[in-house]
Formats: sequence, C-alpha cells, structure tokens
Amino acid sequence: MEREAIFQQLNTVFQDVFDDDDLMVKDQTSAKDVSGWDSMAHISLVLGTEQEFGVKFKTAEVAQLSNVGEFVDLIQTKLSK
Amino acid sequence: MLFNSYEFILLFLPIAVLGFHLTSRSGNHRLPIFWLVAASLLFYGWWNPPYLFLLLLSIGVNYILGQFLGKADLNENESQGKVLLILGIAFNLGLIGYYKYFNFFIDNVNIISGISFNVAQIILPLGISFYTFQQISYLIDSSEGETRHYRFLDYCLFVSFFPQLIAGPIVSHQEMMPQFSKPTHRGVNQENLAIGLTIFSMGLFKKVILADQIALYATPVFSAADQGVALTIAEAWMGALAYTMQIYFDFSGYSDMAIGAARLFGIQLPLNFNSPYKAVDIIDFWGRWHMTLTRFLTRYLYNPIALNLSRRRLQKGKSLIKRGVGSIGAYWELVAVPTLITMFLAGFWHGAGWHYVIFGLLHGFYLSMNHGWRMLLKSFNYSPAETPWWQKRLGHIVTFGCVIVAMVFFRAPSVNNALTVLSAMLGSNGISFSDGALFSNQLFSNSKIGVLWLMGLMAIAFIFPSTQEWLSKYNPALGYKPTATETVGFQRWTTAFQHHLRWHPNQFWGMVTAAVAVTSFLGLSGVSEFIYFQF
Repeated sequence: MEREAIFQQLNTVFQDVFDDDDLMVKDQTSAKDVSGWDSMAHISLVLGTEQEFGVKFKTAEVAQLSNVGEFVDLIQTKLSK
Repeated sequence: MLFNSYEFILLFLPIAVLGFHLTSRSGNHRLPIFWLVAASLLFYGWWNPPYLFLLLLSIGVNYILGQFLGKADLNENESQGKVLLILGIAFNLGLIGYYKYFNFFIDNVNIISGISFNVAQIILPLGISFYTFQQISYLIDSSEGETRHYRFLDYCLFVSFFPQLIAGPIVSHQEMMPQFSKPTHRGVNQENLAIGLTIFSMGLFKKVILADQIALYATPVFSAADQGVALTIAEAWMGALAYTMQIYFDFSGYSDMAIGAARLFGIQLPLNFNSPYKAVDIIDFWGRWHMTLTRFLTRYLYNPIALNLSRRRLQKGKSLIKRGVGSIGAYWELVAVPTLITMFLAGFWHGAGWHYVIFGLLHGFYLSMNHGWRMLLKSFNYSPAETPWWQKRLGHIVTFGCVIVAMVFFRAPSVNNALTVLSAMLGSNGISFSDGALFSNQLFSNSKIGVLWLMGLMAIAFIFPSTQEWLSKYNPALGYKPTATETVGFQRWTTAFQHHLRWHPNQFWGMVTAAVAVTSFLGLSGVSEFIYFQF
C-alpha cells in the first residue's frame, strides 16, 4: 500500500481518537504536539490502527511509536509482509 | 561508592576519566569500553565485593538468554522463545524476590500464621531493582527480535555503567548500544568535560547543600512520630513539606550527577527528572518524575495489560474508549485496572513495605481519577484548545497536595507512622497558631530558618529553570528538546530570563560552576546516601 494512502488513513484514526475532524498530523508529529496524547490515548491509537489496517503490534513496537512518521513506516512494513 | 564522597570525586572519577582518555587514544577502540566496564565493576564492588558476583551472574545469565531469544525469534520458534522468556523473567524476579522481598514475605507470614520463622536479615544488593528492570527489558525486546547480537562487553557496560548502575536512569539498549560502538579516537573532549562537570556540580549542590539541609527538618518529625510524640500541626506540615522538598533535590541531584558523570565520557543518558513540581496534573507529574521508570512501566506493563484487556473487550463486542469518552465499564477495565496494577507494582518495586504499596496505590488512584476527570469533561464537551491559567494554577496546587500526601507514605517507616503524621497534619493534635504552640516539641534547632529554607526550595522547584533548561543549547540529555510552551504561567518571564542567562562554556559560567562545586565539596563532611539507593 502506498505511503501517502496509509498516511491519510492513519490521519482518520487520529481524528477519531482525538475527536478533532480538522486534525492533520505530519511525519514529525509526536505526543508533545497533540494535546491529550497520553498513555490512554496511545492505546486507543494502537487499537484503532490495528482495526483500521488489520495489523497487530508487538510490545516493543507499541512503545517505540514516538512519532507519526514511524507509525506509518511500521504499518507499511507490516502490510507488505 | 557514593557520588557525593571524597573518594569518588577526588580519586575514582579523575582516574576513570584519565584512563578512558588514554585508552581511547590507544588505537584499539574496544579498550575504552573494557576500561569503563572494569571501572564500573570496581565502583560496584567497592561497597560489597560478594554482591559483585551476583551482578556478574545476573549479567551473564541474561546475556546468554537474550542471545538465544534473539535467535529463537529469527527461527520463528515461538513456543521455545516464550518458554525461554518466562524462564528469564522468572530468574530475574527470583533474584530480586529473594534479595529484596524475602524478609518482608517471612515477616508477613509470621504475622498471619503466628509462627515465628527466624530468617537472617538479607542485605539488599545495591541497584538490584534497576539492573533487574533494565535486563528484563532487554529479554522482552530480544524475544521480539528487537535486539541484535550485542557483544558481551557492550552488554556488560549497558548494565553496569557506573553513572546509572545504582539508581538509574533505567536505560534502554537502543539508546546506549549505538553510543558504545561509536569509537572515540580523540578521547575525552573539552566540551563534554565542561558540560559533564557543570551538570555534575549542579547535582552535587542540590544533594549536599539543598537536600541534606532540608532533611534536618524532615527526619526529626518522622522519628518523633515513631516514638509516639504528639506532633503539632505545624511540625507535621514542616516534616511533610521538608521531606517533599528533600526527595526532590536528592533525586534531582542524583539524576544530574549521573548525567554529568556519563557526559565526561561522551555518553549521553536519557532525562530522568524534569521539574516535576511544576506539573499541572498527576499525569504530567509522572512524565516528569523518574521518567525512565514511567517509560519502563508504561512500555512493559501498562501497554500490554491495557491492550490485552481492550482486545478482549473488542472480541466480546463491548465498547471501548472512543474520542476520549467511554462507558464506566470501559473506563474501569481499560484505564483504572491497568493503571492501578501498574502503580501497585511501581510502589512495591520501591521497597518491601506496605507503606510503599500504599504510595503506589495512591498514585494509581490519582492517575485513574485524572484520566476519569478528563473523560468526564470530554463527555460534557469541555475540551478547550488552551487550558485557562486558573485551571493550570488550581491543577498545580491540587497535584502538589496529592504528591505531599503520597510522599508521607513514601518516607514513613510504616503505614502507622504515615497515618500518625497525616492525622497530625489535619489537626488531630489540636490546631493552635500561637507562637509557643507552633513548634512546641523542640524538634528543630531553629524552626524559623527551616521555614525560610522551605520557602526558598519551593521557589526553586516551582519557578527556576531545570538543569537541562540552563544547558539547553548543549544537548544535556538524550532526546531532550527544549519545549516552546511551558506548563505553568510564570514561565513566560523565566523563558525570557533564561534566554539571556543560558549556560555557555565561558568564563562567567566557569566561575559560577566553580563556586557551586566548591561550596558543595566543602559540604561533603558527612556521608549521606541518596534516598534512591535503598530501592
């Protein structure tokens, strides 16, 4: 799946979790940049992503997703397997 | 060996740095690593040589297991991997369980059963809580293929590196290993020396001058409570506040000294302490206090539990938390339960005592309430883009109050003692503000000075920039990026103030640092351990 398409789809997950339909994340967006992105929101993000893309994340991967760019890269890797 | 001791500062550290410099220039770039490992093992063995073998055993077993786990993951041998991982974690928990918790376990068994098992007092191996957690993280990551084949020497250094061996920061292999494999042909460089010594001196000052001095107003209160002295409301508050400030500067000082010492060797440790008393809510607090512990617990405990419970709820067709709002059931299962379990363990990890458990559960309760409150506000559609100043101020005060209460449990030698102090704080021994009644028990040599110290320290904690903010232009800690927005309102003028007073390696700062270092050094007369060494 193309990176840009993954990015758009991931953005909808973010919009859903943070209840902000105008939210536009970028590659460098991280927890510091989005208000309310705490440990609880992180779990919702991971779950939402798993459901949206049909992938499953490992413990280490969940914690390492410090910014959106990494999220997208990881999803792309998993989808290509 | 203690950081705040003559032998460390005058003997060990200079020799370690010199040796590192010489070995770096030797042409063999494994030699400096070997030197650091040797120095670190000496540092650890200095206190209790037999326990050095325990450390080495732990390192050896974990390294071997880690390598096997890495291969099992590569060979897609899942069940073998799982068995090895469980064995590995069991080995680590077994060690810490025995050395740290066995006496506690026996004592409680005795109380419950009435039998009096007599077991010798087991001495707690220094740093076991830290090197255990660090290695468990390595094992779990290995089982998921997140570690490569690390050389044994590098792994040894990862676990035993003396600046972080005894009381953290809990470092991850991802952040440390690349730093070890970067060869430093030129040895110690001037900039790292300047930065490292500055940070180290600031830490020493916080420990020797600030923490150890305010301790004089905390210790007598808790000892008196133990002896059944009826504390006045002023004395109880003085003790609680003094300890709250003592542990702040003790841990902040330690974290600085660790980062500073590591920097002398050009190694950057992650941030562990970020002005936690400026936190506007308890969630913010735990992102600033013992940051690497929060990171470890979130990653290896909270996340797996919350994800597991969430997936199970999904399978059963139950609701999750959507857009920051959820049902009470979802809140309980997905927020409260994982948080309480994690913080219960966090509390217990600090020490074998029920008061530590209560400390943990209290914070678990605080965090759950914080998340719940956010969800409640969200469900009423209250989610402002920018939090109003009065909400931040109120949050700040409430958070600080909650922290004080939990700190009383953290400090008190027993639950009973904590409750005694807390009830005295609430006026159980009478509330009298007349001059003679305020400090009637003669616990302090000069209570007025104590109040002044307290106010000074609180001002520093609430307003002053942190060490990393002073040195923000020089990459003081791994991954630290100065944030543009600060959490407490008055930060606007302090950022302006900082902008002109930021640290640079120039003459002015050289003199300031020298003054700070000398003052602290002259205060080194006694031997006082860091609070976090007992964990």
